[in-house]
Amino acid sequence: MCRAFRGRPVLPGAVSGPAAVSHGGFNTYASFFKSIHVPSPHAICADSGNEDLHGLDLAGAVLCVPATTGSTSGGGVWQRLVTLGNAPRAVLFAQSIDSLAAGGLIVAALWTGGTIVVVDRLGDEFLTSVRSGDEITIGRDGEVAVRGPSA
Amino acid sequence: MRLTPIEECVLAGDEGPVPARVMGTVVQYGEALGADRLVDVTGGGHMVIAYALPGIGPSLEMLEEFVAAGLRTAYPFTLDPRPPLDYGNWSLRDDQVAVLDDMYRDQARYEQLLLELGLRDPEAFTCRPFLDEVGNVPRKGDVLAWSESAAVVYANSVLGARTNRNGAVMDLLCNLTGKVPLSGLITDEARRATWLIEVRTSELPLPQVLGAAIGRRVLDDVPYVTGLDGALDPGLDLPTRDYLNELGTACATAGAVGLMHVQGVTPEAIEQGQALLVPDHRTFVVDDDVLADLTASYPVLWRDGEASPEGCYLGCPHLSATQVEWWAASIGAALRARGRKKVVVPTTICVAPQTLGRVKNDGSAAAELEEAGVRLSAGCPMQLFDNGLSDDKAIITNSTKLRSYTNARFFPDRRIVEIVVSGES
Repeated sequence: MCRAFRGRPVLPGAVSGPAAVSHGGFNTYASFFKSIHVPSPHAICADSGNEDLHGLDLAGAVLCVPATTGSTSGGGVWQRLVTLGNAPRAVLFAQSIDSLAAGGLIVAALWTGGTIVVVDRLGDEFLTSVRSGDEITIGRDGEVAVRGPSA
Repeated sequence: MRLTPIEECVLAGDEGPVPARVMGTVVQYGEALGADRLVDVTGGGHMVIAYALPGIGPSLEMLEEFVAAGLRTAYPFTLDPRPPLDYGNWSLRDDQVAVLDDMYRDQARYEQLLLELGLRDPEAFTCRPFLDEVGNVPRKGDVLAWSESAAVVYANSVLGARTNRNGAVMDLLCNLTGKVPLSGLITDEARRATWLIEVRTSELPLPQVLGAAIGRRVLDDVPYVTGLDGALDPGLDLPTRDYLNELGTACATAGAVGLMHVQGVTPEAIEQGQALLVPDHRTFVVDDDVLADLTASYPVLWRDGEASPEGCYLGCPHLSATQVEWWAASIGAALRARGRKKVVVPTTICVAPQTLGRVKNDGSAAAELEEAGVRLSAGCPMQLFDNGLSDDKAIITNSTKLRSYTNARFFPDRRIVEIVVSGES
Protein backbone atom coordinates (compact mmCIF):
# COMPACT_ATOMS: atom_id res chain seq x y z
CA MET A 1 0.00 0.00 0.00
CA CYS A 2 1.19 3.49 -0.79
CA ARG A 3 -0.28 6.78 0.27
CA ALA A 4 0.86 10.27 -0.58
CA PHE A 5 0.69 13.44 1.47
CA ARG A 6 1.71 16.94 0.58
CA GLY A 7 3.23 19.46 2.93
CA ARG A 8 5.37 22.58 2.86
CA PRO A 9 9.07 21.99 2.21
CA VAL A 10 10.83 24.02 4.92
CA LEU A 11 14.25 22.55 4.15
CA PRO A 12 13.69 20.82 0.81
CA GLY A 13 15.38 17.65 -0.32
CA ALA A 14 14.73 14.28 -1.92
CA VAL A 15 15.46 11.48 0.55
CA SER A 16 13.94 8.24 1.72
CA GLY A 17 14.17 6.16 4.87
CA PRO A 18 12.26 4.26 7.50
CA ALA A 19 9.65 6.12 9.53
CA ALA A 20 10.07 6.65 13.28
CA VAL A 21 6.75 7.96 14.54
CA SER A 22 6.08 9.93 17.72
CA HIS A 23 2.39 10.50 18.30
CA GLY A 24 3.03 12.87 21.18
CA GLY A 25 5.30 15.92 21.08
CA PHE A 26 8.91 15.00 20.36
CA ASN A 27 11.20 16.22 23.14
CA THR A 28 14.38 16.91 21.19
CA TYR A 29 16.76 17.42 24.10
CA ALA A 30 15.47 14.48 26.13
CA SER A 31 15.66 12.24 23.07
CA PHE A 32 19.18 13.15 21.95
CA PHE A 33 21.12 14.48 24.93
CA LYS A 34 23.03 11.24 25.24
CA SER A 35 23.85 11.14 21.52
CA ILE A 36 25.70 14.43 21.13
CA HIS A 37 28.94 13.99 23.06
CA VAL A 38 30.76 11.07 21.53
CA PRO A 39 30.87 10.25 17.80
CA SER A 40 28.65 7.27 17.11
CA PRO A 41 26.68 5.94 14.14
CA HIS A 42 23.66 5.69 16.42
CA ALA A 43 21.26 8.11 18.10
CA ILE A 44 19.22 6.05 20.55
CA CYS A 45 16.13 7.90 21.76
CA ALA A 46 16.78 8.53 25.47
CA ASP A 47 13.41 10.06 26.30
CA SER A 48 11.79 7.66 28.76
CA GLY A 49 8.60 9.70 28.47
CA ASN A 50 8.22 8.88 24.77
CA GLU A 51 6.39 5.57 24.62
CA ASP A 52 6.71 5.35 20.84
CA LEU A 53 10.42 5.95 20.40
CA HIS A 54 12.28 5.35 23.66
CA GLY A 55 15.23 3.05 22.95
CA LEU A 56 14.93 3.18 19.14
CA ASP A 57 17.81 4.30 16.94
CA LEU A 58 16.83 7.54 15.20
CA ALA A 59 20.02 7.93 13.13
CA GLY A 60 19.04 7.91 9.46
CA ALA A 61 15.34 7.66 10.26
CA VAL A 62 12.52 9.82 8.93
CA LEU A 63 11.16 11.28 12.13
CA CYS A 64 7.39 11.86 12.01
CA VAL A 65 6.11 14.15 14.79
CA PRO A 66 3.27 16.54 15.54
CA ALA A 67 5.71 19.17 16.89
CA THR A 68 8.78 19.30 19.13
CA THR A 69 8.68 20.04 22.84
CA GLY A 70 10.87 20.52 25.87
CA SER A 71 14.05 22.39 26.65
CA THR A 72 15.22 25.08 24.26
CA SER A 73 18.65 23.42 24.47
CA GLY A 74 17.05 21.16 21.88
CA GLY A 75 17.82 23.85 19.28
CA GLY A 76 21.55 23.23 19.22
CA VAL A 77 21.20 19.48 19.21
CA TRP A 78 20.35 19.23 15.50
CA GLN A 79 23.55 20.99 14.49
CA ARG A 80 25.61 18.60 16.56
CA LEU A 81 23.86 15.49 15.21
CA VAL A 82 24.60 16.61 11.66
CA THR A 83 28.25 17.16 12.56
CA LEU A 84 28.52 13.74 14.21
CA GLY A 85 26.71 12.04 11.33
CA ASN A 86 23.98 10.44 13.42
CA ALA A 87 21.09 12.78 12.61
CA PRO A 88 17.70 11.64 11.36
CA ARG A 89 17.50 11.92 7.58
CA ALA A 90 14.35 14.01 7.69
CA VAL A 91 11.81 15.42 10.11
CA LEU A 92 8.16 15.52 9.06
CA PHE A 93 5.70 17.66 11.00
CA ALA A 94 1.95 17.15 11.01
CA GLN A 95 1.46 20.76 12.14
CA SER A 96 3.28 23.98 11.23
CA ILE A 97 6.85 23.70 12.44
CA ASP A 98 7.37 25.06 15.95
CA SER A 99 9.90 27.80 16.67
CA LEU A 100 12.28 25.54 18.59
CA ALA A 101 12.56 23.01 15.77
CA ALA A 102 12.65 25.67 13.04
CA GLY A 103 15.53 27.51 14.65
CA GLY A 104 17.57 24.40 15.34
CA LEU A 105 17.05 22.74 11.97
CA ILE A 106 17.70 25.93 9.97
CA VAL A 107 20.91 26.66 11.89
CA ALA A 108 21.99 23.06 11.31
CA ALA A 109 21.36 23.46 7.58
CA LEU A 110 22.94 26.88 7.09
CA TRP A 111 25.93 26.62 9.44
CA THR A 112 26.88 22.96 9.27
CA GLY A 113 26.48 22.12 5.62
CA GLY A 114 24.45 18.97 6.00
CA THR A 115 20.73 19.33 5.68
CA ILE A 116 18.10 17.36 7.51
CA VAL A 117 15.13 17.50 5.13
CA VAL A 118 12.11 19.15 6.75
CA VAL A 119 8.49 19.17 5.59
CA ASP A 120 5.70 20.55 7.75
CA ARG A 121 1.89 20.96 7.55
CA LEU A 122 1.34 17.34 6.48
CA GLY A 123 -1.87 17.17 8.48
CA ASP A 124 -3.11 15.06 11.38
CA GLU A 125 -4.15 12.24 9.05
CA PHE A 126 -0.52 11.76 8.05
CA LEU A 127 0.47 11.12 11.64
CA THR A 128 -2.41 8.78 12.37
CA SER A 129 -1.78 6.63 9.29
CA VAL A 130 2.02 6.35 9.24
CA ARG A 131 3.63 3.61 11.34
CA SER A 132 7.22 3.22 12.55
CA GLY A 133 9.08 1.12 9.99
CA ASP A 134 7.03 2.28 6.99
CA GLU A 135 9.25 3.29 4.06
CA ILE A 136 8.99 7.01 3.37
CA THR A 137 10.07 8.82 0.23
CA ILE A 138 10.19 12.61 0.26
CA GLY A 139 10.26 14.80 -2.84
CA ARG A 140 11.78 18.26 -3.09
CA ASP A 141 8.30 19.71 -3.59
CA GLY A 142 7.12 18.47 -0.19
CA GLU A 143 5.35 15.35 -1.41
CA VAL A 144 5.66 12.48 1.06
CA ALA A 145 4.95 8.90 -0.05
CA VAL A 146 4.40 6.29 2.64
CA ARG A 147 4.77 2.59 1.85
CA GLY A 148 3.93 -0.06 4.37
CA PRO A 149 1.31 -2.56 5.46
CA SER A 150 -0.61 0.13 7.29
CA ALA A 151 -0.41 2.80 4.60
CA MET B 1 9.11 38.33 3.85
CA ARG B 2 9.12 42.09 3.47
CA LEU B 3 12.44 43.43 4.72
CA THR B 4 13.32 47.05 5.55
CA PRO B 5 15.95 48.78 3.40
CA ILE B 6 18.49 48.40 6.21
CA GLU B 7 17.73 44.69 6.62
CA GLU B 8 18.13 44.29 2.85
CA CYS B 9 21.51 46.01 2.99
CA VAL B 10 22.76 43.75 5.76
CA LEU B 11 21.47 40.73 3.88
CA ALA B 12 23.23 41.91 0.72
CA GLY B 13 26.55 42.00 2.56
CA ASP B 14 26.99 45.75 3.03
CA GLU B 15 28.21 45.14 6.58
CA GLY B 16 30.29 42.12 5.66
CA PRO B 17 29.77 38.43 5.03
CA VAL B 18 29.20 37.34 8.64
CA PRO B 19 26.38 39.81 9.41
CA ALA B 20 24.85 38.86 6.05
CA ARG B 21 24.91 35.19 6.93
CA VAL B 22 23.46 35.82 10.40
CA MET B 23 20.67 37.98 8.94
CA GLY B 24 20.00 35.37 6.25
CA THR B 25 19.53 32.72 8.91
CA VAL B 26 17.10 34.89 10.88
CA VAL B 27 15.17 35.67 7.69
CA GLN B 28 14.85 31.99 6.84
CA TYR B 29 13.70 31.37 10.42
CA GLY B 30 10.98 33.98 9.87
CA GLU B 31 9.89 32.39 6.62
CA ALA B 32 9.61 28.98 8.29
CA LEU B 33 7.46 30.53 11.00
CA GLY B 34 5.21 32.22 8.45
CA ALA B 35 6.20 35.77 9.46
CA ASP B 36 5.77 38.53 6.91
CA ARG B 37 8.45 40.74 8.50
CA LEU B 38 10.99 41.07 11.27
CA VAL B 39 10.53 43.35 14.29
CA ASP B 40 13.11 44.98 16.56
CA VAL B 41 14.11 43.38 19.82
CA THR B 42 13.46 45.94 22.59
CA GLY B 43 15.16 44.38 25.62
CA GLY B 44 18.06 42.29 26.84
CA GLY B 45 18.28 38.65 25.91
CA HIS B 46 18.31 35.61 28.10
CA MET B 47 19.76 32.50 26.51
CA VAL B 48 20.25 28.84 27.18
CA ILE B 49 23.75 28.71 25.67
CA ALA B 50 25.81 28.72 28.88
CA TYR B 51 27.83 25.60 28.16
CA ALA B 52 30.93 25.12 26.09
CA LEU B 53 29.59 21.84 24.82
CA PRO B 54 29.03 21.37 21.09
CA GLY B 55 25.40 20.40 20.65
CA ILE B 56 24.25 22.47 23.59
CA GLY B 57 25.63 25.85 22.62
CA PRO B 58 27.32 27.29 19.53
CA SER B 59 30.80 26.06 18.79
CA LEU B 60 33.87 28.05 19.82
CA GLU B 61 34.64 28.55 16.13
CA MET B 62 31.24 30.12 15.54
CA LEU B 63 31.70 32.52 18.49
CA GLU B 64 35.24 33.37 17.34
CA GLU B 65 33.83 34.19 13.90
CA PHE B 66 31.22 36.52 15.39
CA VAL B 67 33.75 38.29 17.62
CA ALA B 68 36.20 38.68 14.76
CA ALA B 69 33.42 40.24 12.66
CA GLY B 70 32.74 42.77 15.45
CA LEU B 71 29.22 41.55 16.19
CA ARG B 72 27.62 42.48 19.50
CA THR B 73 24.05 42.19 20.77
CA ALA B 74 21.90 45.30 20.85
CA TYR B 75 21.33 44.86 24.62
CA PRO B 76 23.38 43.08 27.31
CA PHE B 77 22.21 39.50 27.86
CA THR B 78 22.13 36.92 30.63
CA LEU B 79 22.70 33.18 30.34
CA ASP B 80 21.54 29.95 31.95
CA PRO B 81 23.41 28.62 35.00
CA ARG B 82 27.03 27.60 34.76
CA PRO B 83 27.87 23.90 34.66
CA PRO B 84 28.50 22.35 38.09
CA LEU B 85 32.24 22.99 38.14
CA ASP B 86 32.15 23.95 41.85
CA TYR B 87 32.90 20.29 42.56
CA GLY B 88 32.93 20.64 46.36
CA ASN B 89 29.19 21.32 46.33
CA TRP B 90 28.20 18.15 44.50
CA SER B 91 29.87 15.20 46.29
CA LEU B 92 31.40 13.86 43.08
CA ARG B 93 33.73 10.92 42.59
CA ASP B 94 37.19 11.53 41.12
CA ASP B 95 36.19 9.90 37.83
CA GLN B 96 33.19 12.23 37.54
CA VAL B 97 35.40 15.26 38.16
CA ALA B 98 37.80 14.06 35.48
CA VAL B 99 34.98 13.70 32.93
CA LEU B 100 33.55 17.13 33.79
CA ASP B 101 37.01 18.72 33.55
CA ASP B 102 37.35 17.28 30.08
CA MET B 103 33.81 18.14 28.93
CA TYR B 104 34.15 21.76 30.01
CA ARG B 105 37.81 22.31 29.14
CA ASP B 106 36.84 25.25 26.88
CA GLN B 107 34.42 26.88 29.34
CA ALA B 108 36.65 29.85 30.30
CA ARG B 109 37.38 30.77 26.67
CA TYR B 110 33.71 30.29 25.78
CA GLU B 111 32.58 32.68 28.53
CA GLN B 112 35.19 35.26 27.46
CA LEU B 113 33.85 35.19 23.91
CA LEU B 114 30.28 35.61 25.15
CA LEU B 115 31.37 38.64 27.23
CA GLU B 116 32.74 40.15 24.03
CA LEU B 117 29.42 39.47 22.29
CA GLY B 118 27.35 41.20 24.99
CA LEU B 119 27.08 38.99 28.10
CA ARG B 120 26.12 41.47 30.83
CA ASP B 121 28.79 40.52 33.37
CA PRO B 122 30.83 37.47 34.39
CA GLU B 123 28.22 36.41 36.97
CA ALA B 124 25.10 36.71 34.76
CA PHE B 125 24.40 32.96 34.87
CA THR B 126 21.01 31.71 36.10
CA CYS B 127 17.77 30.30 34.73
CA ARG B 128 15.97 32.96 36.79
CA PRO B 129 17.30 36.22 35.37
CA PHE B 130 14.18 38.19 36.35
CA LEU B 131 14.80 37.93 40.09
CA ASP B 132 15.27 41.42 41.53
CA GLU B 133 18.82 40.70 42.59
CA VAL B 134 19.74 39.49 39.09
CA GLY B 135 17.95 42.33 37.34
CA ASN B 136 17.22 41.20 33.77
CA VAL B 137 13.56 42.14 34.16
CA PRO B 138 11.74 42.76 30.87
CA ARG B 139 9.00 45.38 30.72
CA LYS B 140 5.44 44.53 29.74
CA GLY B 141 5.20 44.57 25.95
CA ASP B 142 8.95 44.18 25.37
CA VAL B 143 9.81 42.15 22.27
CA LEU B 144 12.54 39.65 23.15
CA ALA B 145 14.58 36.84 21.64
CA TRP B 146 14.79 34.54 24.65
CA SER B 147 15.46 30.86 25.03
CA GLU B 148 15.44 28.66 28.16
CA SER B 149 11.94 27.29 28.30
CA ALA B 150 11.52 28.18 31.99
CA ALA B 151 12.50 31.79 31.39
CA VAL B 152 10.44 32.16 28.21
CA VAL B 153 7.19 31.10 29.86
CA TYR B 154 7.79 33.42 32.83
CA ALA B 155 8.70 36.43 30.67
CA ASN B 156 5.57 35.95 28.57
CA SER B 157 3.13 34.98 31.29
CA VAL B 158 4.12 36.86 34.43
CA LEU B 159 5.94 39.88 32.99
CA GLY B 160 3.79 40.33 29.89
CA ALA B 161 6.81 40.53 27.60
CA ARG B 162 6.73 38.84 24.18
CA THR B 163 9.11 36.13 23.08
CA ASN B 164 8.91 32.90 21.20
CA ARG B 165 10.58 29.72 22.41
CA ASN B 166 13.75 30.23 20.45
CA GLY B 167 16.21 27.38 20.39
CA ALA B 168 19.88 27.44 21.31
CA VAL B 169 22.06 29.22 18.70
CA MET B 170 19.10 30.85 16.92
CA ASP B 171 18.58 32.80 20.15
CA LEU B 172 22.06 34.31 19.77
CA LEU B 173 21.62 35.02 16.06
CA CYS B 174 18.37 36.93 16.72
CA ASN B 175 19.98 38.97 19.50
CA LEU B 176 23.00 39.74 17.31
CA THR B 177 20.75 41.08 14.54
CA GLY B 178 18.43 42.74 17.07
CA LYS B 179 15.51 41.24 15.13
CA VAL B 180 12.91 38.53 15.59
CA PRO B 181 10.25 37.27 13.19
CA LEU B 182 6.80 38.75 13.83
CA SER B 183 5.14 35.45 14.55
CA GLY B 184 3.84 33.19 17.31
CA LEU B 185 3.82 34.65 20.80
CA ILE B 186 4.97 38.06 19.55
CA THR B 187 1.46 38.50 18.04
CA ASP B 188 -1.81 39.19 19.88
CA GLU B 189 -3.60 36.33 18.17
CA ALA B 190 -1.23 33.61 19.37
CA ARG B 191 -1.49 34.89 22.95
CA ARG B 192 -5.14 33.90 23.21
CA ALA B 193 -5.86 30.78 25.24
CA THR B 194 -6.95 27.55 23.56
CA TRP B 195 -7.39 25.57 26.78
CA LEU B 196 -9.41 26.33 29.91
CA ILE B 197 -7.74 24.58 32.86
CA GLU B 198 -10.09 24.35 35.84
CA VAL B 199 -8.13 23.59 39.01
CA ARG B 200 -10.49 21.96 41.53
CA THR B 201 -8.11 20.49 44.08
CA SER B 202 -8.63 20.30 47.83
CA GLU B 203 -5.66 22.61 48.45
CA LEU B 204 -3.25 24.71 46.40
CA PRO B 205 -1.41 22.05 44.37
CA LEU B 206 2.34 21.80 44.14
CA PRO B 207 3.24 23.93 41.13
CA GLN B 208 5.73 21.37 39.83
CA VAL B 209 2.98 18.73 39.65
CA LEU B 210 0.18 20.97 38.40
CA GLY B 211 2.49 22.33 35.70
CA ALA B 212 3.41 18.83 34.55
CA ALA B 213 -0.28 17.90 34.30
CA ILE B 214 -1.08 21.02 32.28
CA GLY B 215 1.95 20.72 30.00
CA ARG B 216 1.21 17.10 29.16
CA ARG B 217 -2.33 17.94 28.20
CA VAL B 218 -1.96 21.20 26.26
CA LEU B 219 1.46 20.52 24.64
CA ASP B 220 2.34 23.81 22.94
CA ASP B 221 -1.03 25.51 23.32
CA VAL B 222 -1.83 28.43 25.63
CA PRO B 223 -3.68 27.47 28.84
CA TYR B 224 -5.94 29.79 30.83
CA VAL B 225 -5.92 28.53 34.42
CA THR B 226 -8.75 29.14 36.88
CA GLY B 227 -9.01 28.18 40.53
CA LEU B 228 -5.69 29.60 41.73
CA ASP B 229 -6.65 33.24 42.13
CA GLY B 230 -7.76 32.87 45.74
CA ALA B 231 -4.37 31.50 46.76
CA LEU B 232 -2.06 33.72 44.72
CA ASP B 233 -1.42 37.46 44.95
CA PRO B 234 -2.46 39.60 41.97
CA GLY B 235 0.22 42.04 43.12
CA LEU B 236 2.71 39.26 42.36
CA ASP B 237 4.41 39.07 45.75
CA LEU B 238 7.52 36.90 45.93
CA PRO B 239 5.74 33.67 46.97
CA THR B 240 3.37 34.14 44.01
CA ARG B 241 6.30 34.75 41.67
CA ASP B 242 8.00 31.63 43.07
CA TYR B 243 4.83 29.61 42.48
CA LEU B 244 4.34 30.88 38.93
CA ASN B 245 8.00 30.29 38.09
CA GLU B 246 7.76 26.64 39.11
CA LEU B 247 4.35 26.22 37.48
CA GLY B 248 5.58 27.63 34.19
CA THR B 249 8.80 25.64 34.21
CA ALA B 250 6.91 22.40 34.68
CA CYS B 251 4.38 23.35 31.95
CA ALA B 252 7.25 24.06 29.56
CA THR B 253 9.06 20.84 30.40
CA ALA B 254 6.11 18.48 30.17
CA GLY B 255 4.81 20.19 27.04
CA ALA B 256 6.08 23.16 25.10
CA VAL B 257 4.10 25.88 26.83
CA GLY B 258 5.51 29.34 26.14
CA LEU B 259 2.66 31.33 27.69
CA MET B 260 0.06 30.63 30.34
CA HIS B 261 -2.62 32.90 31.73
CA VAL B 262 -3.68 32.57 35.37
CA GLN B 263 -7.06 34.09 36.08
CA GLY B 264 -6.90 37.12 38.34
CA VAL B 265 -3.13 36.87 38.69
CA THR B 266 -1.09 37.27 35.49
CA PRO B 267 -1.24 40.66 33.74
CA GLU B 268 -3.07 39.76 30.54
CA ALA B 269 -5.58 37.64 32.48
CA ILE B 270 -6.23 40.57 34.82
CA GLU B 271 -6.79 42.90 31.86
CA GLN B 272 -8.84 40.66 29.61
CA GLY B 273 -10.19 37.84 31.78
CA GLN B 274 -11.87 34.95 30.00
CA ALA B 275 -12.10 37.03 26.82
CA LEU B 276 -8.60 35.62 26.27
CA LEU B 277 -10.17 32.22 25.59
CA VAL B 278 -10.87 31.42 21.96
CA PRO B 279 -14.52 30.45 21.38
CA ASP B 280 -13.79 26.80 20.58
CA HIS B 281 -11.32 26.24 23.42
CA ARG B 282 -11.04 22.87 25.10
CA THR B 283 -11.40 22.25 28.85
CA PHE B 284 -9.31 20.16 31.26
CA VAL B 285 -10.37 19.75 34.87
CA VAL B 286 -7.53 19.11 37.32
CA ASP B 287 -8.52 17.52 40.62
CA ASP B 288 -6.63 15.63 43.31
CA ASP B 289 -6.99 12.34 41.42
CA VAL B 290 -5.46 13.73 38.23
CA LEU B 291 -2.39 14.89 40.13
CA ALA B 292 -2.07 11.68 42.16
CA ASP B 293 -2.35 9.57 39.00
CA LEU B 294 0.31 11.67 37.32
CA THR B 295 2.95 11.31 40.03
CA ALA B 296 2.11 7.61 40.41
CA SER B 297 2.84 7.16 36.70
CA TYR B 298 6.43 8.40 36.98
CA PRO B 299 8.73 5.42 36.37
CA VAL B 300 11.56 4.70 38.84
CA LEU B 301 14.66 4.86 36.66
CA TRP B 302 17.25 4.05 39.31
CA ARG B 303 19.30 0.96 38.52
CA ASP B 304 18.22 -0.38 41.90
CA GLY B 305 14.70 0.74 42.57
CA GLU B 306 15.06 -0.13 46.25
CA ALA B 307 18.29 1.81 46.75
CA SER B 308 18.68 4.37 49.52
CA PRO B 309 18.89 7.90 48.11
CA GLU B 310 22.49 8.96 47.51
CA GLY B 311 21.96 12.58 46.60
CA CYS B 312 19.30 15.29 46.51
CA TYR B 313 19.28 18.21 44.09
CA LEU B 314 16.92 21.14 44.63
CA GLY B 315 16.65 24.38 42.70
CA CYS B 316 15.78 23.38 39.14
CA PRO B 317 14.74 26.09 38.34
CA HIS B 318 16.91 28.24 40.62
CA LEU B 319 15.30 29.12 43.95
CA SER B 320 14.64 32.58 45.33
CA ALA B 321 16.03 33.63 48.71
CA THR B 322 12.55 33.07 50.20
CA GLN B 323 12.46 29.51 48.92
CA VAL B 324 15.94 28.87 50.33
CA GLU B 325 14.69 30.14 53.70
CA TRP B 326 11.79 27.65 53.54
CA TRP B 327 14.14 24.73 52.91
CA ALA B 328 16.53 25.88 55.64
CA ALA B 329 13.73 26.19 58.20
CA SER B 330 12.02 22.94 57.15
CA ILE B 331 15.17 20.83 57.12
CA GLY B 332 16.34 22.42 60.38
CA ALA B 333 13.03 21.66 62.11
CA ALA B 334 12.98 18.07 60.79
CA LEU B 335 16.51 17.48 62.05
CA ARG B 336 15.69 18.86 65.49
CA ALA B 337 12.58 16.66 65.64
CA ARG B 338 14.81 13.62 65.10
CA GLY B 339 17.59 14.83 67.36
CA ARG B 340 20.00 14.95 64.44
CA LYS B 341 22.53 17.56 63.39
CA LYS B 342 23.07 16.86 59.70
CA VAL B 343 21.19 15.55 56.69
CA VAL B 344 21.81 11.91 55.82
CA VAL B 345 21.37 12.38 52.05
CA PRO B 346 23.96 14.78 50.53
CA THR B 347 21.86 17.73 49.41
CA THR B 348 22.63 20.63 47.08
CA ILE B 349 20.38 23.66 46.57
CA CYS B 350 20.87 25.71 43.40
CA VAL B 351 20.39 29.47 43.22
CA ALA B 352 21.54 32.40 41.07
CA PRO B 353 25.02 33.73 41.96
CA GLN B 354 23.36 36.98 43.09
CA THR B 355 20.88 35.07 45.30
CA LEU B 356 23.78 33.09 46.75
CA GLY B 357 25.45 36.36 47.73
CA ARG B 358 22.22 37.66 49.21
CA VAL B 359 21.52 34.52 51.23
CA LYS B 360 25.07 34.49 52.57
CA ASN B 361 24.87 38.18 53.50
CA ASP B 362 21.53 37.73 55.25
CA GLY B 363 23.12 34.98 57.30
CA SER B 364 20.53 32.90 59.12
CA ALA B 365 19.35 30.57 56.33
CA ALA B 366 22.88 30.09 55.05
CA ALA B 367 24.08 29.29 58.59
CA GLU B 368 21.24 26.84 59.19
CA LEU B 369 21.92 25.03 55.92
CA GLU B 370 25.65 24.88 56.58
CA GLU B 371 25.01 23.46 60.04
CA ALA B 372 22.72 20.84 58.46
CA GLY B 373 25.38 19.94 55.91
CA VAL B 374 23.31 21.22 52.97
CA ARG B 375 25.33 22.90 50.22
CA LEU B 376 24.44 25.92 48.10
CA SER B 377 25.58 26.16 44.48
CA ALA B 378 25.08 28.58 41.60
CA GLY B 379 25.42 25.70 39.14
CA CYS B 380 22.90 23.49 37.36
CA PRO B 381 22.45 19.81 38.23
CA MET B 382 21.34 18.81 34.72
CA GLN B 383 24.90 18.78 33.43
CA LEU B 384 25.85 16.06 35.90
CA PHE B 385 23.73 13.64 33.91
CA ASP B 386 25.13 14.18 30.41
CA ASN B 387 27.23 11.26 29.28
CA GLY B 388 25.67 8.97 31.87
CA LEU B 389 27.78 10.51 34.64
CA SER B 390 25.19 10.01 37.34
CA ASP B 391 23.12 7.18 35.90
CA ASP B 392 24.28 4.84 38.65
CA LYS B 393 23.35 7.22 41.45
CA ALA B 394 20.01 7.19 43.25
CA ILE B 395 19.21 10.91 43.07
CA ILE B 396 16.02 12.51 44.38
CA THR B 397 14.58 15.89 43.41
CA ASN B 398 11.47 18.03 43.67
CA SER B 399 11.93 19.18 40.07
CA THR B 400 9.72 18.11 37.18
CA LYS B 401 12.41 19.30 34.81
CA LEU B 402 15.27 17.37 36.40
CA ARG B 403 13.06 14.29 36.65
CA SER B 404 12.13 14.52 32.98
CA TYR B 405 15.69 14.73 31.68
CA THR B 406 17.52 12.43 34.09
CA ASN B 407 17.01 9.32 36.19
CA ALA B 408 16.33 11.45 39.27
CA ARG B 409 13.26 10.39 41.23
CA PHE B 410 10.56 12.95 42.00
CA PHE B 411 9.17 13.56 45.47
CA PRO B 412 7.02 16.44 46.75
CA ASP B 413 8.80 19.07 48.87
CA ARG B 414 7.71 17.84 52.29
CA ARG B 415 8.62 14.24 51.49
CA ILE B 416 12.03 15.44 50.34
CA VAL B 417 12.57 17.07 53.74
CA GLU B 418 11.80 13.80 55.50
CA ILE B 419 13.96 11.74 53.16
CA VAL B 420 17.09 13.90 53.43
CA VAL B 421 16.97 13.84 57.23
CA SER B 422 16.09 10.13 57.52
CA GLY B 423 17.71 8.57 54.45
CA GLU B 424 14.54 6.57 53.85
CA SER B 425 12.44 6.91 50.73
